[in-house]
Formats: sequence, structure tokens, C-alpha cells
Amino acid sequence: MSNVHERLRRLLFLVPYVSKHPGVTVEALAKALTISREDLLEELDLLTCVGRPPFNPDDYIDIYVDNDRVYVDLDQRLFAPPRLTAGEAAALAAAAELLRPATGDALQSAVSKLEGIIPPAARERFRDMYRKIDATAEAPLALGPLTQAILERREVTFGYASPGRVPEPRRVRPYELLSNRGQWYLQGFCHTRQDARLFRLDRMEDLAVTATAFQPPADARADVPNPARGTTGDSVRVRFTPTAAPYVKERFGQDARPLADGGVEVRVAGDSERWLTQWVLSFGGEAEVLEPASARAAVARAVHASLGS
Amino acid sequence: MDRTERILDLVALLLDAREPISWAELREHFPADYGGSDDAAERKFERDKAELVELGFPLSYVQGDDERRDGYLVDRDVYYLPEADLTKEELAVLYAAGSAALASGAFPGRDDLAHALRKIGFFAGESLPTPRVRMELGTGQEGQEKEVSARLEQLWEACSTHKWVHIVYGSPKQSGPTERRVDPYGLALRRGVWTLVGYCHLRQGLRTFHVHRIRDLKVNTARPRTPDFEVPADFSLDAHVAYFPWQYRFHAPMEVALRLSGPLASRAGSLFPGAVLEPVEEGVTRARFPVTFVDGLMRFVLSLGADCRVEGPPEARERLEQMAARILEKHAVVDGNGQRVIA
Repeated sequence: MSNVHERLRRLLFLVPYVSKHPGVTVEALAKALTISREDLLEELDLLTCVGRPPFNPDDYIDIYVDNDRVYVDLDQRLFAPPRLTAGEAAALAAAAELLRPATGDALQSAVSKLEGIIPPAARERFRDMYRKIDATAEAPLALGPLTQAILERREVTFGYASPGRVPEPRRVRPYELLSNRGQWYLQGFCHTRQDARLFRLDRMEDLAVTATAFQPPADARADVPNPARGTTGDSVRVRFTPTAAPYVKERFGQDARPLADGGVEVRVAGDSERWLTQWVLSFGGEAEVLEPASARAAVARAVHASLGS
Repeated sequence: MDRTERILDLVALLLDAREPISWAELREHFPADYGGSDDAAERKFERDKAELVELGFPLSYVQGDDERRDGYLVDRDVYYLPEADLTKEELAVLYAAGSAALASGAFPGRDDLAHALRKIGFFAGESLPTPRVRMELGTGQEGQEKEVSARLEQLWEACSTHKWVHIVYGSPKQSGPTERRVDPYGLALRRGVWTLVGYCHLRQGLRTFHVHRIRDLKVNTARPRTPDFEVPADFSLDAHVAYFPWQYRFHAPMEVALRLSGPLASRAGSLFPGAVLEPVEEGVTRARFPVTFVDGLMRFVLSLGADCRVEGPPEARERLEQMAARILEKHAVVDGNGQRVIA
């Protein structure tokens, strides 16, 4: 897309926005448009030159900053933004598909309402473009009630199975949902453990939203830990065959050391034996733990367990 | 005059006009811009008009009659965004998903998405729900987000305008990158990875490409408003993109039966979506499902540990045993005399 196009879209939204929010601060307006303060001031400068022929004083847009607040006195009929284009509506509808299984009827009705507010001539193009992104299969069912609980600030209860254990009941203040490499997590405060915890949605069962309200902390952001990068200094050396090497290089980049036979070697954290063995096994014979010996033995034990031998 | 400024002036003029505005009048209004030779001026106006159409500006040319003269007119009712009357829930869905996709850094049509969110929020005022959904998507390796994001943006544009792309693709199965021309049919997200599905001119058939493996991409810029291809009417993205490794189509479908016990028994449905589940005994579930890449499944089975067993068919079980033997051989303990001791 050209710069002009992007700029026009922004400016055709800016004037109506200020018209609707007279006295909006420069900062809030820049945030609403996701541009910097400097860029916004530049845009406001340009707008003061916009008008319609014959370009008498009253024919220009009258937009100005006073005491760090923005006002528009003459909007030259730009009092509402243009309708959504086919592309805009399609991108939004496709993004909403990310939560499809979780959203019940709300998604379907939202999408048909979206279709209703794009120009009639753009509807066919919208349907065509909407089909070009498929993100449907990503969201587990639990996203629905959890999104609702987060928005309504209500505690949830569920049974949670930690790896290798039977499920235990938990009571949690849900703060945030996040998806990492296709895996969904709930971040929240666990009353049962009296600590902040990250829960995998696919390990939850019997999820229920309670009537107990809570106040979430201002910033409750958590990151999904990468088990390949641990916290302790102990590392494990793993070698991969030439067959597996391209996949490993893709994930580890420069950290994958090339070997003479075309394979690669990487060092990963040894904090979690469980993660390490699962990971090595998932390469089905294309990976070998070189050291330490204890990690090699753990892999061998895991194979025997899988075979039931 | 700056082009952005001129187009905005045109918008202001046309939104205010009650009568059609003729080309001659436009030339009078913008003498510096639409001056010069007739041809050059017309070409310039055609480009501006195309931009207005792209913005969704409902511009039409009316043929005059006794009452009215010829000229350009805009349908104001079609221009202005009306209230969509979205319920709180509908707005929450669109807003949470849209913001999460935007924040993920890798979603096709990011600019379009950002504008769409602004517009649906226009009438919502302060009642906009705060999204607490976050997604990290789309890249194989850390630090690649920017590149993937840029590729997705190019592909979104190529998909929507039906223009072919020229790509340099680094498949892990090939020793070096290959160059090919692809008609992009669509983009699918599976387990955090974006896949392009399209007609590959090199292989003369439908192929899938992981977006993070595209090293270079150019969209055909010739005749930007003319589509290069049509997507077949019966095309469905989902039919071409695997969700799990065992769904890659490497061999004819084979039904595999797994026996899941312990903590895995109750998770059978989420581990193998779509599988037929049968209770075997208390705390034990059998999952049956078709597999088109048995190695992919057997690797996953190995990583699940003792609570997942392969019941059949024998070929699958055999593959599992071969893999296990290979791992054991690689992880054999060597004694003080250099002799391998079976672990």
C-alpha cells in the first residue's frame, strides 16, 4: 500500500474523531491513531490546508491545538469516518475467527453486522477476502468462559492436571489469556498455590466461572517460559542428524553449531528432565544427547517406559 | 499541491456538492493540478479517482439529462460509517480478537485490521472492553517476527488483488532454496504457524509454504488492477493445511488406535481432536483416527511416555519400535572397556 493511501485513511478518521471528542489531548489522539506526537502534529498542519474550492476562509477545515488539546470548528462534512472497506472488514472478521470456537453466536452475528456496514458494492469482495485467511482451528472452547471471566473480573475454578499427575481442583483469578506457538495459556493468581501461575488450557477440565469478583492488578503480563533456555547454568549438549538439522537451525538460528557430517549441535537447559526427554524423543531417533550422562540415561529410560519394556 | 492534500480537497468538494461536478469544473477548481495537456491531466485524475475508490469513496459518474448536467457525484449515505449496533458481546469478540491479532505482530492485513478496529470503536465511546487476550504467532525462530509480518502484509495484498508472487523458498527438505512463481489462494494459521496455500507454477499444482521459510517475496506489479488468476470455486484452505504432523499427506490414510491411560485418558479429546474415543476400562480410553504420516504420530507418541500405547495397526507399532531402537542405540551406555551396554 502506498504511503498516500495510509495517510488518507488516517486523516479521514482523524477529523471525525476530533469532531466527536472535542478537546481530546494530543497524546490521546496520537494513541488512538497509533502514531507519534510529532507525526500527529504534522498531520494537523496538513489538515489546515485542506478545504474545498473556491477556498474561501470558511471553506477550509478548521482544526487546531489549544493548550495541548485538539479541537475542530469546521469539519467540512467530515463528521463521521468512511465505512469499513472490504479489506478492513475481512481482516477483522478473519482475526475474530481466532476465537471462533469460544465465541458462540456472538462471532456469527458480529460478522453479519460488519457485512451490513460496508458499502453494498464491496460486499462480494469482502466475502472473497474473508475466505483468504483461515485461523479457525486455533482456539480451544475454554476461551469463551475465560474471556468472559476476565472481562467481568470473576474468579474461576477448574481441575488442573500438572504434567504426569491426576487433575487437582484450583481456584484462580484470571488475568490474561495468551497463545504461544499455538498453545493457549491462562495467566492468573492461583488461590490454591497462593502464587501467580500460568495454566495450559488443554490441561483444564470442568471449568466454571464463579460469582466472586476481584480487582486485577494494573499490569499482569507474563511470558511463556522457553524450556530450552533455563535459569540454571547446567546445559545439555544435543546432536542432530543431517535430516533433522534444517528444522533445528530454523528454531535455534546461530545457536545451532554446524557439524562436519551436516548435522548440528545445540546446548539447551537441563532444568527440566521431563521437557528434555520429551523433546529429544519427539525427533524419533534423529537426536542424541551427548552429555551429561544422566540426561542420556533419562532418555533411554523414557524410551523403555514408552515401549512398556 | 501535495497529492494527499489534493485528494482530501476532492473529498471535501464532493461531499458538499449537491449537483454533479463536471470534469471541466474540476479542472477549473484545481488549475495547478489538472492543468497541462488534456491527456496528462486526465491520467492524473484517473489515478486520484482510483485512490478514492480504494478508500471506499462511493464516487459515480452520472449522465446528465434535461434536469441535471453530467458529472461526478458521491452517495453520501454510502460514504459515512453508520452505527453497527454491535452488542457488548459482539464488540468484545471483535475487539479482543482484533487487538490480540494486531499485537501478535504477525497477522495478514495489519493496517486494514488497525483501521477496522478504530472504526468499530468510533461509536463505542468509553465502553470499549479492555482486551486481555494476547497471541504470539507465526514465526519459527525468535526475532523473525518483523520479517514474517512484512511477508504476511505483502501476501495479504497479493491474495486480495489476485496477483502472483515470486518467492525464494527454503524448504528443510531441500538442500538449497528454490525460486518459484505462486498464485496465492490464501493464508492459514495452524498452531502458531502461518501457511500460504497456492498454485505453484514450478510444481504445476497446489502447494503449501510456511511463511517463515519464504526468504524473499515479490508481488507482480504489472497491471496492478487486473487479476492474474482466479481461485477455483471449490477451493477450501482447510483441506490443504495440516493441523498436526500426522495429518501431513505423505501416504494413504491408515487408521491408528492408541490406548491412553493415567492422566492422558481424560485428555484424549484435546490431544487428538476429531478422534473416535471409546472407553476400554476404568481410566483407560482408546482413540482411533486416520493418519497420513505415521512417523509424525509415532514421534509424538514417544514423547507422551508410558501412558500412551499403540494398539495397531502392526505397521505403526513397528515404526515406533524402529524409532525406539534407534534412540536406544544412540543413548547406549559405554562401559570402561568401550563396550556398549544396553541401557
